[in-house]
Amino acid sequence: MSDHVLKEEPLQFGEGGRLFGILTLPNTAPGQGPELPVFVFLTAGFLHRVGPLRLHVRLARELAEMGFSSLRVDLAGTGDTPPRPASMSYQQSVVADFKGIVDVLDSRLGRPSFVLAGLCSGADNAIMLAMREPRVVGMVLLDSICFPDPGFRAREIFQKCSNPARYLSWLKHRFEALSGAPVAERIDPEGWRHWRELPTLEELRAAFNSIRSRGGRVLSVFTGQTLQYYNRTGQLGQVLNVDGYREFCAERFWPEVEHTYSLEVHRRRLVAEIKTWAGGFIRT
Amino acid sequence: MTTAELLAQLQQLGVELRVEGEGLRFRAPAGALTETLRAELARCKGEILEALRDRTSVKRPGYEAFFFGPDDQKIFAQYHAPVRGGGRTLVVICPPLFSDFMRTHLALRDLAMALAERGLHVLRFDYRGTGDSSGGLEQATVANWLEDIAFAVREGRERSGSADVRLLGIRASALLACRSMGASSEVGRLILWDPVPDGVDYLQEMRRVQGGLLEQHLHLTRAERREAAREYAGYRLSEPLQEGIRSLDANLYSSIPMSKLHVLSTSSAVKFPVRGVSQDMERCDCNWETDSEDRMVLPRLVSERLITCLTMS
Repeated sequence: MSDHVLKEEPLQFGEGGRLFGILTLPNTAPGQGPELPVFVFLTAGFLHRVGPLRLHVRLARELAEMGFSSLRVDLAGTGDTPPRPASMSYQQSVVADFKGIVDVLDSRLGRPSFVLAGLCSGADNAIMLAMREPRVVGMVLLDSICFPDPGFRAREIFQKCSNPARYLSWLKHRFEALSGAPVAERIDPEGWRHWRELPTLEELRAAFNSIRSRGGRVLSVFTGQTLQYYNRTGQLGQVLNVDGYREFCAERFWPEVEHTYSLEVHRRRLVAEIKTWAGGFIRT
Repeated sequence: MTTAELLAQLQQLGVELRVEGEGLRFRAPAGALTETLRAELARCKGEILEALRDRTSVKRPGYEAFFFGPDDQKIFAQYHAPVRGGGRTLVVICPPLFSDFMRTHLALRDLAMALAERGLHVLRFDYRGTGDSSGGLEQATVANWLEDIAFAVREGRERSGSADVRLLGIRASALLACRSMGASSEVGRLILWDPVPDGVDYLQEMRRVQGGLLEQHLHLTRAERREAAREYAGYRLSEPLQEGIRSLDANLYSSIPMSKLHVLSTSSAVKFPVRGVSQDMERCDCNWETDSEDRMVLPRLVSERLITCLTMS
């Protein structure tokens, strides 16, 4: 595909062409634009490469207008990439997929550096891959894991007691129970822990240290989904305790936002935040 | 130690494993294979052989991905050729819209592969302004989407050489497929999976989903709430697009000759508006009225019924 500012191309690559993704390129002749890292959008959960409410497509195209190339890719078992053999662990599968991603981007763009962007399990994978691949110079982590700091529990109790939504929800459920109306399905608030392979604090710290040692940068955004383990701006920096955190990391806390950015007003805010952050690669 | 852990450890130690006939061969740096590891290798030999055979027989997905259509508004598509060649029938899958599209992506990919396995040509595509196709919903119109179906049928016919064309329309795409088929003599059969009653009802359903979303978002400013109240299940639809969807009424279903139409429903709660049409019921909790795009719809029994309908001569 092509228009005034970008070109898009489907890629079947990796062993036997098993991996699938869409490469988005800015419409500048090679060598004309600045050498910028390539964004790799990693799939979240079972969603395919376009991302929740088409978030990855929009980001790929708006970043292309700024001069960034990107690949939105289906990791094994999602979208149009078949699963790996059951004998491979999930992490082995992601590492093998990423090797394919690096190889195809090398062949197309000549040894670029990378920014890994992912929501939820996509963020977990970005953290795991950043430790291993020395050319990862940036991470956009959306609802990644974090760990409680000393004041976490006290803030959690205060926030729960002062949250009107909690009382409204309780009243709604009481009303449903008393009126005999079908009770809405309760979602296990800890359910996500059963299927995500969460990085440990040491791994998280190692990934951030890797990025710092490469002169890279990290953007972390936490939404209301993460209140079980994150409830204050700056908490990630405090628990990581990485040298120079504020110089290379930006941390945002948007508790009023839903995990998949289901409202346009929130998607617009996220896209603007990521574009502003990405602009830092152009200036440096 | 599991087989996967053992394989990972051997890889770290630089031990290379390979299959030779029915046996397992290895090459290891001096001292890498301890007695314990050798014992583990012997214990897991069968599983390791199976794993290595799996790895060496990586399945290449049997499809070709490409963009086609107008120069400045490309449509993304995937063409699945019959696995064993030949094939006289082309199935064009008209995907559902919005969150239904996200939730059925895996099911439709698997369906396309299963049909190709059974000797059919299959073309999947994303409407303009959706999925990987160009543009955004702000530019999309129902007229574009009808044109996309016509483009997809033409593209599929050119690639497959097939004259026997069948359309599969899912949810709101059932209405689009009916209108498209009414204007075309190229399509011989139309299969509908959980067709929505009409465009107005579909938009109302999306508004109910949006109402649920707004209930969850208590901390919006007045301006944000006003803006969000105009969305449909999280998607912003332009006025022309809303108007176009509203214009898709239930009469479209009765415009198709009954002999060419077949409906597959997963719930008895929604009645198909035309009597006398050939129908199947395969109960499945698809729960279409949700804002959760990651709640995948993977109805194995529905897929089997669809395969039967689409392969029937």
